Amino acid sequence: MIDLIHVTKRFGDAVAVDDISLSVARGELCVLVGTSGCGKSTTLRMINRLIEHSEGEIHIDDQQIRAFREETLRRRMGYAIQSTGLFPHWTVARNIGLVPRLLKWPKAKVQARVEELMALLGLAMEAFAGKYPHQLSGGQAQRVGVARALAADPDILLMDEPFGALDPITRQSLQDELRELQSRLHKTIVFVTHDMDEALRLADHLVVMHQGRIVQQGRPLALLREPADGFVESLLGGEDRGLKEAALLPVSQRMLPLGPRLLARERIGQHASLREALSVMLWRHAERLTVVDDDDLPVGELSLRRLVGVRSDE
Amino acid sequence: MSKGRRWVVPLGWLALLLVATFGMGQLEGVFRWIEADSRQVIYARADFVTLLGRHLLVVSVAAVLAILLGVGAAIAATRDWGRDFLPLVSQLASIGQTFPPVAVLALAVPVLGFGTLPIIVALLLYGLLPIVRNTLAGLEGIDPGVMEAARGMGMSGGQILRQVELPLAAPVILAGIRTSVTINIATAAIGATVGASNLGDPIISGIVNGNTAYVVQGALLIGLLAVSVDSLFSRLPLAGSR
Ligand SMILES: Nc1ncnc2c1ncn2[C@@H]1O[C@H](COP(=O)(O)OP(=O)(O)O)[C@@H](O)[C@H]1O
Ligand SMILES: [Mg+2]
Repeated sequence: MIDLIHVTKRFGDAVAVDDISLSVARGELCVLVGTSGCGKSTTLRMINRLIEHSEGEIHIDDQQIRAFREETLRRRMGYAIQSTGLFPHWTVARNIGLVPRLLKWPKAKVQARVEELMALLGLAMEAFAGKYPHQLSGGQAQRVGVARALAADPDILLMDEPFGALDPITRQSLQDELRELQSRLHKTIVFVTHDMDEALRLADHLVVMHQGRIVQQGRPLALLREPADGFVESLLGGEDRGLKEAALLPVSQRMLPLGPRLLARERIGQHASLREALSVMLWRHAERLTVVDDDDLPVGELSLRRLVGVRSDE
Repeated sequence: MSKGRRWVVPLGWLALLLVATFGMGQLEGVFRWIEADSRQVIYARADFVTLLGRHLLVVSVAAVLAILLGVGAAIAATRDWGRDFLPLVSQLASIGQTFPPVAVLALAVPVLGFGTLPIIVALLLYGLLPIVRNTLAGLEGIDPGVMEAARGMGMSGGQILRQVELPLAAPVILAGIRTSVTINIATAAIGATVGASNLGDPIISGIVNGNTAYVVQGALLIGLLAVSVDSLFSRLPLAGSR
């Protein structure tokens, strides 16, 4: 869907992005992660031609991006940024309807689409449609920013640290919503962040950048298990890697079927992560947990030995 | 402030201006007290209504030209293709204001002759700086995130200018126009020295003939006009902070 082929970007003599190649498959959520100044935003902005690449080729659906008019290309891609960039003199509804209006959709269709998106992002129509951006909280403004990016139903969504300025709780709930949204909409998303936890939580495909280059890319678990070098390893949390990996694995992957033994008193949902299970064990001083399904019915059990990955149980 | 109430103050000043313009003759007693020695104490070479009309005309024409030129130049200098001219534009505008209008008149008369034209040129140059400076400040002051989003959403340059930049910069631009026009209402009086008859006439004539009453009449009307116009500007919907 999106292909970067040996792409380089120079600003004068400085090389901001250095010969990177990257493919994002349709429906995939690709996260670019790395320390500040490593070229993530530049890479993202080359895809919608806010920045022109110096060398190499960028393809969308196998067509060079330079084959499109800039405006046409950008209207096909949603774009959400950390500062939201909502127009302060427009209401929420008008902000969200921007791209559909640029595409000359009929009024009624724009209106219907705005309502649909506000519902999708949990913004009550009566409460928010007529509000101005300065009347919104950070989280609400970012929802509006995402709604605006999704407005014309683009296949591609480009997001540059969209949740970077939010408090941890709001950030996590927006991350969860994005995953939820993505499981329904199947957009092709390129997401930039410097927050590794966010990257691991969201990514189907994780791309680690350092000084303008891609140092490693692949599935998050693959990177956790086999970091290419010390830099990737430290970025992935060094000693904390075990916990980060546990946060990616569901309890159901390590649990055993219910045995003849008595059920353990402490319970954990089957969709919880191993990290959460470990936390419950530490907190409750329990070596065994009963795994329950969504209806709170026992479906298995998880021992500390199983959790940490010791193969034979007893 | 309710919708109707906001216009009370400017309309009050405007009413005072009209009363003074039409009723100057009624104040003969007051002026005779100021200027006891003169035979005539009310300026009568032209009636005040005509002078006010000509004054307004000169200032308006100069303002319209200054707005077109100033806002246009500032817009051009903030486009990608015009960035190189940004320092030049702001320098030229500054020079325009440091150059005294009287000097402009002196230079313009030999070329343009006596009358209204030289004073319009002088006012145009003098009024350019506040407009250019404020338009630049307004356009450059827009949140970079907003500009980035506008481009990233696929708006064209013209759409961004009309729908985003101008509306957001409007309060600052309008403040510049307000300064420019208010200053020029006062400055226009010197046009009387080169034969552009306006509210400067009584003042110049009063100075030449040693008639203080004339000077007071001209100054009073110019002052009232400036205050009325300034007050009107301050009540325009865009002038407040948004
Ligand atoms: N418009 C620009 N002009 C010159 N240098 C730039 C420009 N944009 C980015 N850079 C430089 O390119 C490098 C990468 O920047 P960026 O992509 O914004 O990093 P990141 O998003 O990973 O923090 C930085 O060194 C930055 O200073
Ligand atoms: Mg960045």
